[in-house]
Amino acid sequence: MADLTSINPYASGNLSGPPPAVSRFWQMHHRQRIRLWGIAFVLPTLLFFAVFKYGPMMWAIELSFNSYDMVSAPRFIGLDNYRELAADPIFRETLLNTFVYIAGSTILTTIVGLSLALAINTGIPGARYCMTAMFLTNLMPIIAVCLVWRFLLHPYGLVNQILQPLGVGRIDWLTNSWTALPAIIMVTVWRFAPYFMVVFLAALLALPEDYYEAAELDGAGAFRRFIHITLPLLMPTIFFVVVVSALLCARIFLMPYLITGGGPGNATRVLSMLIYETGFSYLKMGQAAAISVVLFAIMLVFTAFQIRLFARSEQVYM
Amino acid sequence: MKKSAILRPTRRDVVRTIGAAGLGAATSGPLMQRAFAQTKKPVEISFWTFDNPQQRPWVHKRVKLFMQENPHVKVDFQWFAFADLGKKVSVGFATGTAPDGFVSQDWFMPTWLDKGLLAPLDTQRLGYPSYAAFTGDFAKAFVDGATMDGKVYGYPLWFYGYCNYLNSKQFKEVGLDAEKDWPQSWDQLGEVAKRLTVKDGDKFVRQGFKFAMHSSQWTMIQFNPILIQSGGKWFDDAGKCTVNSDAGVRAMTIRASIAQKYGAEDPADSIATNPVPGMDFLKERASMFFCHPIPFDLVKVNNPAMLEGGYFRPVQYPGVQTGKGNSTTYGFNLVINAKAAAEKQEALHDLYKFIMSDLIDCWKDTAPFTLGRKTGWADNAEVQKFPHVNEIIRAKDEGVFLPRSLVFNELADSMHRAVQKVMLSKAGIKATLDEAAAEVDRATAAYKKA
Repeated sequence: MADLTSINPYASGNLSGPPPAVSRFWQMHHRQRIRLWGIAFVLPTLLFFAVFKYGPMMWAIELSFNSYDMVSAPRFIGLDNYRELAADPIFRETLLNTFVYIAGSTILTTIVGLSLALAINTGIPGARYCMTAMFLTNLMPIIAVCLVWRFLLHPYGLVNQILQPLGVGRIDWLTNSWTALPAIIMVTVWRFAPYFMVVFLAALLALPEDYYEAAELDGAGAFRRFIHITLPLLMPTIFFVVVVSALLCARIFLMPYLITGGGPGNATRVLSMLIYETGFSYLKMGQAAAISVVLFAIMLVFTAFQIRLFARSEQVYM
Repeated sequence: MKKSAILRPTRRDVVRTIGAAGLGAATSGPLMQRAFAQTKKPVEISFWTFDNPQQRPWVHKRVKLFMQENPHVKVDFQWFAFADLGKKVSVGFATGTAPDGFVSQDWFMPTWLDKGLLAPLDTQRLGYPSYAAFTGDFAKAFVDGATMDGKVYGYPLWFYGYCNYLNSKQFKEVGLDAEKDWPQSWDQLGEVAKRLTVKDGDKFVRQGFKFAMHSSQWTMIQFNPILIQSGGKWFDDAGKCTVNSDAGVRAMTIRASIAQKYGAEDPADSIATNPVPGMDFLKERASMFFCHPIPFDLVKVNNPAMLEGGYFRPVQYPGVQTGKGNSTTYGFNLVINAKAAAEKQEALHDLYKFIMSDLIDCWKDTAPFTLGRKTGWADNAEVQKFPHVNEIIRAKDEGVFLPRSLVFNELADSMHRAVQKVMLSKAGIKATLDEAAAEVDRATAAYKKA
């Protein structure tokens, strides 16, 4: 029998009195000790999240039921902030803009990202270099990207100059309320599609070749192979890209802020901009917190989908 | 052998004595200063201001000079983008990190005063024998924003009015004389702008006139005098927004006329940016532009030929009635945080007095930004030799003020959206102004409720 006294002086029964904590630890079952070690390793991270993420989040939710101008003490007002938002046409218009922006950017980013990945996956010469060049858009500082696109989308900017020989007349991309939000969506797709192209490419490379060989033997063409093999196998990745892209777009701030400032009128104002203006320009932190709770609720819906998606994926692969 | 009782100094002794005396003289100055300074308790103060290529470096220079003359005072000097300073200060107040002293834009004064965030200034410590002497040294409109209940809360620094800047070379090209033919009414502005416009098909090669549309503050500054000239007001006595009155509709119609009636402006075509709103004018893409006083350095950087040729000049804003134009005057006050400790407030008074003690030096570094004070600068030869300075001073003295409202930011953003809708989406003026007024009234109601 192993001599445990060197590591547990109470093992021999020689010492009397209530064992100190350390000794109680060593008296525990092995599995319990493992569990306590696990908690000890996870605790610092949990504390970090509690202090810097969940604590402020809970405070923001509490603040949404208060009137707070950042100078006087918060004053409880119940649901008044939410009632004011519901009655505010600017909030409703901004909410609609946000949904349109999320839907447009997510769908287009997914389609463009997948298309680029399929093109790269054909293995044509130079495809990898193209992929690297395209991915560079993701590495550029966002401020530089926004300022450059402001000039590219100028009424006499490069985009209109390219479209002009095709018979397209002048388009006031950023000053027409019908085209301003689509222009922001276009810039978003330009920036994020290459990132998701890499995600799709990794998924494509992981697809088993057997299915394609079998389909070829059965005489299936490229299109049918794509529809009946590639797409179904890529579904988990597509869902992942849709959800992550939607979460990214829901929080977007710099692009509309720098490119159009929320204009013309209210055409490109999104919820994150409204939060910033309400809190820091108008000094209505309570109402800004209420808007952020609404945005949080929207993102929670997408996150719930994501969790369900991963749970389903694990079941499929197990 | 008996030693003599009297010690005779040797040559070596004399040289040593002279050397010691010299060393003592050389070190006594700083040591005495240090000793004197050590009798004053060290004070550290924080001071924030907005960034501007001429104004910020001058304030910084004065702060450094002050610290040299007052070694017991250390100033932590910080600056922020113009549009962000107000937000930074308000966040600072919320988090307890607001500076001890800062430069406040004039339209924020009501907000700070309403929330009791500013300390009253001791006019005697600033060098004025009395409150009346202080207020008498500024135009009433300047100090109205900085005084409350017989106390002074802000020391006006720069106050200036917008002018209509003309490209006199382009005037000459179309047979006009900028000295005589400058527009004195809005109709004249439209006609002159139309004459100055150059188009290549539908594309503007040169716009006759340009309104800046890049920020809500500029929208307010430009629209404010048009509304007042048209007989309108921002708010009635009950605090209801009246921008959608008949006068407001007239004002917005005037605002839109340059583009929509005279075809002399393309609101969508601009290369202006936040740092340089006058870029279209400086690059000669527009012949006329409303702007604050334009420093020569700004012209030199963007269009050296324009500076060398001297073919830009300020004139007065046009009026609804010919010859009765006036623009917006706005400015900046030196203020003190009410929560700053007593010794910091004292040090800030001394700092502000020092900053304001050499306004000619201010002018040399920051011309043509005009100062709020009446005395000590305007009659100086250095100021008078600046080209067209009297036009610039007149714009300041005759300008109307922005509404000092507790919901100024909401008002500015609502008007900015309204102008964009009218100019870019060609929305109906009355309906758009009704929306803007309703937004402002909601903001006012929410403020009162809070």
